[in-house]
Amino acid sequence: MLIGIDIGGTYTDGVVYREGKIIKTAKKPTLYEEIDVSLLAVLDDLIKDMDVKQVKRLVISTTLVTNLIATGRGERTALLLLPGYGLPHDLYRIGDDTYFLKGSIDFRGREIEEIDEKEVIECIEDIKKKGIRRVAIAGKFASRNNLQEKKVQDLFHKHYREALTVISSKVANRLNFPRRAATAYFTAMTLKEWEGFVAQIRSALQERNLSCEVFILKADGGTTPLDLSVFTPCETVFSGPAASTMGGKAITMDDKNAVVIDIGGTTSDISLLIEGNPLYASKGAVISGFYTHIHALAVKSVPLGGDSLIYLQDGSIDVAPYREGNAACLGGNRPTVTDVFNVKYRLNVGNAASSVKALQELALLAGMELDRLCDKVVDIVISRLTEAIKNMFKEWENEPAYKVWEVVNGRRFKPDRLIGIGAAARAIIPVLAEKMDLPYLVHDHSPVANALGAAVARPTLTVNLHIDTAQGVCMVDPGGIRQQVPRSPAFSMEEARKIALNFLQEIGKKRGMEDYLEDYRFYKEEQFNMIRGWDRIGKIFEIELQVAPGFIKEYRGVI
Amino acid sequence: MMKPTGVIFFPAFDWAISPTHPEREERLLYTRDQLFEEGIMDLPHIKEYKPELASFKDVLRVHFCVPSVEERIIEAHLVAAGSALKLADAFLAGEIKNGFAIVRPPGHHAMTVSHANRGFCDINNEAIMIEYVRKKYGIKKVAIVDTDVHHGDGTQEIYYNDPDVLFISFHQDGRTLYPGTGFTSEAGWGRGYGTTINIPLPPRTSDEGIHYVLDNLVLPILEDFKPDLVVNSAGQDNHYTDPLADMCFTAQGYALLNKKLKPDIAVLEGGYSVETALPYVNMGIIMAMAGLDFSNLKEPDYSQNRLRNGSSHLDYLKKLVEKQLFLYRNREEVVNKQYAENKNRFYVEQKSIFYDTEYLYEMQNNKLRLCPECQGYRVIESTARHRDGITYNVGCISIPVNCCRNCHDEARAVYIDMQEKARYDMVYLQDRIDDRYYSFHVQKGIEKVW
Repeated sequence: MLIGIDIGGTYTDGVVYREGKIIKTAKKPTLYEEIDVSLLAVLDDLIKDMDVKQVKRLVISTTLVTNLIATGRGERTALLLLPGYGLPHDLYRIGDDTYFLKGSIDFRGREIEEIDEKEVIECIEDIKKKGIRRVAIAGKFASRNNLQEKKVQDLFHKHYREALTVISSKVANRLNFPRRAATAYFTAMTLKEWEGFVAQIRSALQERNLSCEVFILKADGGTTPLDLSVFTPCETVFSGPAASTMGGKAITMDDKNAVVIDIGGTTSDISLLIEGNPLYASKGAVISGFYTHIHALAVKSVPLGGDSLIYLQDGSIDVAPYREGNAACLGGNRPTVTDVFNVKYRLNVGNAASSVKALQELALLAGMELDRLCDKVVDIVISRLTEAIKNMFKEWENEPAYKVWEVVNGRRFKPDRLIGIGAAARAIIPVLAEKMDLPYLVHDHSPVANALGAAVARPTLTVNLHIDTAQGVCMVDPGGIRQQVPRSPAFSMEEARKIALNFLQEIGKKRGMEDYLEDYRFYKEEQFNMIRGWDRIGKIFEIELQVAPGFIKEYRGVI
Repeated sequence: MMKPTGVIFFPAFDWAISPTHPEREERLLYTRDQLFEEGIMDLPHIKEYKPELASFKDVLRVHFCVPSVEERIIEAHLVAAGSALKLADAFLAGEIKNGFAIVRPPGHHAMTVSHANRGFCDINNEAIMIEYVRKKYGIKKVAIVDTDVHHGDGTQEIYYNDPDVLFISFHQDGRTLYPGTGFTSEAGWGRGYGTTINIPLPPRTSDEGIHYVLDNLVLPILEDFKPDLVVNSAGQDNHYTDPLADMCFTAQGYALLNKKLKPDIAVLEGGYSVETALPYVNMGIIMAMAGLDFSNLKEPDYSQNRLRNGSSHLDYLKKLVEKQLFLYRNREEVVNKQYAENKNRFYVEQKSIFYDTEYLYEMQNNKLRLCPECQGYRVIESTARHRDGITYNVGCISIPVNCCRNCHDEARAVYIDMQEKARYDMVYLQDRIDDRYYSFHVQKGIEKVW
């Protein structure tokens, strides 16, 4: 038996999956301040009258970290930057406690300016005085050489033991200094709280005699073991939308192009499956307006859902970007999007007469016929969704390209179908599909497909390598590993791939993903001859390989 | 909200002239590292665009490709030129306040007739963009400021007789550097006299010297000319570390130049100091165009003292500036006098052009129609023996976008006449008025129209 629980913004959903079937589901409102309570309420619902020994795997997706950061409840965190030359330092500031220090590295990893120990110590004293206990350290080009970041961290160990420090090269060892800085910063901010959450879960599971493997869903639709998640809490942001995307994939299990739309209470999350594979966000997850280096699926959120209020705005009918309660047919007081679809398409959701009554009142107020009011709302809903979907296609098609063949073989996204997820999908998706002239799928389990997606998702791993044979070094992400390589100018792509693959195996094994390490793919293989004068002095390789999002081996689909 | 600066970064990581050539894949590698690490593309000040392919027709609006556009032009060229077109479209649609195409391969040595690659260039990216916006948007007056260390001889040749296109090039003196041209005496042809301004700078000219020329010559001329579009051929080899040239310009100097020049569209040209100049100069230009403070931008080995010029150097520049200002200010007078005195229907000129990359010579016979109404059409007879051993004799007729009706008719008649002559292998007509481009295979009697 496999259990998946998705703690969303409005509802917490859970499923129990066994041998091709969903045998149990649960849905509870999410208590914003007490995420652990919501989680356990759903879990208890699911395992009631069940032999917990049968549970093999539990996967949780949660908005905890997203909420912590969004609501400013994260712990005060200092950010130490070694920005060197380039953009004005002010552009790199995050929060009030940003410090700019001397020290500079160039793109080949060569030290240009040393750090000033005295200056660092003064900075440490200042941070200590302010009572700040979390510190993120980020140096420009630390992904090519993290010596200076480490030196600053060592000084903290020496002069301010109690401080929790995170260096950027460790959390993300790829180019883009501000994204690395933001990733390190938000990691330092949430590390302890996440640890606390993990400890709570662990003891709650113990109380319930659940001894199965426990995983956390990441923003890229892959899982990570609960114990390892404590090092990278930020990977859990936006795991809710990732659960939906994986849910869309889980209920279809084919290699078609699809648009997955999760229509929730007040938002619709749109994502794309390209030949069955979830599309990644090319710039990583955006947290509080800052780009980060966290691998995430590309998800567009539209402030529009089944519970979105229908109201009069300056005399004309509009759909509000918020909810005031349930749909009238489900016991609410005011009409919502669900009520409109209920009336217009005779869906018989809940008490249909209540839908009519609530809308009739509003129609009177607006001086419109009920039919016309419904038509207008449907138009608004459909056009907002189609516009968002089309923009998503366009954004993907217009991603920058750096090679001739990429430009010549331009991208076109032609969807084969729409996949509806979430409680309101059954009402809205058929209409949307007709307007877009596409087939659609709304599965019986669509309302909890997100939890299913979490339950059966497999681990993912992306490994990036930068090899500079003239310097004889190799830099690896994740982990910020720096390793020697032979300084041979004859170094071949074959050898570079082999090194990359070894790292994938090594890191993958540490993450307990032995079962999936054969299923990798190289996404980037670039090699550059370095010519100085008329001689080749070495080569630079850029390599990326990945175990992409997918499902655990025993999952073959759901009836 | 302030409009962003459009950037197309196209390093062509899968294309090179040859593995060890200066114009190779590695050229923009460290620039990529620098731009990506700075995170400048993530800023709201910048909008990154995807390159697009230019069409053959876009190329033919500028070039006569021998023997044919299909055989001469490869996709890498079309992407570089297409990137400039894309940014021009975005600029004229009002999406961006200005645009920078960081693309390779470069283009400013490519002339009207293109037999082969010369000076690392096959087709002229800026000219293709300019003819495109003139046709599509009716843009009339354009200024091109070429800040590459090499004389932009291709762009100069294309617009040599066009009074609506001002071409200003400063570069290391042609007596000391490829392509060996760009002297003050090259000032334009026919009605284009005085709208070609060459500024041959002595070797080791620094920020101080270049900014003197910019402030006292380039900017005043631009202000007077009032172009509808300002284009910067943004070569970066005036840098003090460039391996092919011998100048002393810095990243700060380039950034400040762009801040003052305020180009609408900048297109990367040369620059072969791949590690020590390009990452910093490209950053500087983007920052300046986006209105970002660039005072924190510096090369790691930057030293202000090394980069000053002596007083005799500056005196030389002062005289140069005076001379070229005089040329520009008196241009109309000179043109009028020339047209009044010359009773011939045509100017005629013989030229030989060397293609350094592929080592071939082209002989040209140029004729410019001296028309009282317009700048006149051009007839070029060209001969060159290509690398495959085949010698091509071709006839080319070029009708400018601002051509008068008479010249238009006359030029089309010339095209028909030339088709009868067995001494040509190919005859081409570039009809920018009708936006139609013809090539006629004389022996086969087959015409192709784009």
